Amino acid sequence: MLAGGAAAGAFGSLLGLGGGVLIVPLLTLGFGLDLRAAVGVSLVSVIVTSSAAAGVYLERNVANLRLGMTLELFTALGALGGGLIAFLIEERLLAVLFAALLGYVSLSMVRHGLAAEDGTPPEPPLEPPPDDDPPPGTNGRDLRARAIERLSGDAYTVRRIGTGVAGSVFAGVVSALLGIGGGIIKVPLMHIGMGVPLRVATATSNLIIGVTASASAVIYLLRGEIDPYVAGPVAIGVFVGATAGSRVAHRIDLRVLRGLFVIVLLYTAFQMLLRALG
Amino acid sequence: MSDRHPVDRRFERRLGRLLITVMYVAVILLLVGVVLMLATGVSPMSGGPGLDPARLVGDVLALAPAGFLWLGLLAVIATPVSRVLGAAVGFIRGGEPLMAAISLAILAVIALGVVVAILAG
Repeated sequence: MLAGGAAAGAFGSLLGLGGGVLIVPLLTLGFGLDLRAAVGVSLVSVIVTSSAAAGVYLERNVANLRLGMTLELFTALGALGGGLIAFLIEERLLAVLFAALLGYVSLSMVRHGLAAEDGTPPEPPLEPPPDDDPPPGTNGRDLRARAIERLSGDAYTVRRIGTGVAGSVFAGVVSALLGIGGGIIKVPLMHIGMGVPLRVATATSNLIIGVTASASAVIYLLRGEIDPYVAGPVAIGVFVGATAGSRVAHRIDLRVLRGLFVIVLLYTAFQMLLRALG
Repeated sequence: MSDRHPVDRRFERRLGRLLITVMYVAVILLLVGVVLMLATGVSPMSGGPGLDPARLVGDVLALAPAGFLWLGLLAVIATPVSRVLGAAVGFIRGGEPLMAAISLAILAVIALGVVVAILAG
């Protein structure tokens, strides 16, 4: 379990994903744990890795604290709803949803890998897309303009706050239902949707993930779905794996790793579907 | 666009250090729990005891793995909450009522989760 957690943490750290995508299948398919119990353990591990990273990003002034806290209010609301819905949904449906998530992550990684090999950026450039928000200071919306100014960073202006709020609620629900950090939703949401530079979006996402996972982990904890004998070793394994992964990242051929990871994810998605179908 | 004030940067550095410190305390508690599990031959699949706040101190004093693991898990879950609390204090001191209100609203949502989970049994 320690080794599995370490592998999940290392993979997650090398590929910029949280460990949750791998921990839930590891515990359900590998150790026969109930899916909800696995989600509870995964949430704990997600808090460990994201908080450690968020602390470093805050110390280095990379994360956008104000934007992060504004969005995390809405992810926490989503996580509260998702944490409650999770106990009403049949486990088979949760397994199907998780398999769909794994499929989506695999396709995203293939797309990202192909774009990197082509030398084309995987995502639109940082120049903000045409948006539905008026520029700050126009139409007499001074309060809104001041809020946008406070949420923006030194070299960029945040846009589409409404999109960010809606996407954050969705990310919170998904995180609580499936035990993932939700960075795969939040980073593109901030970067592509709100015009936040990728590095800042990644750092801010780590900040948000901790609170989102905490809001739902509390519900799992109080409903007796977190087993300390499982959560302890897995969390330690993930912490060690993520730390080691970040140190060796520059020495590893990420194309090979990404290919292996996609195969593992697709195989896991297939196994989760089989489990869902009984 | 806004230039971040040096006070902002110091505030964020302090919050970052708080987050890292609480996280390391949590990881050390979990590590002690895992070492005690290995030392006493407890299998991860044996089904751990549920959280019982009344037994927590006794378990820790008796060097029972569950005591340290539960303390560590509670510290892990409290880590982001402590950061939000620290931010709320900072925003109140800095005279930013909107951000202070957002921080307190986040804490209220988490508290609401606790209440709902307890009521739902």
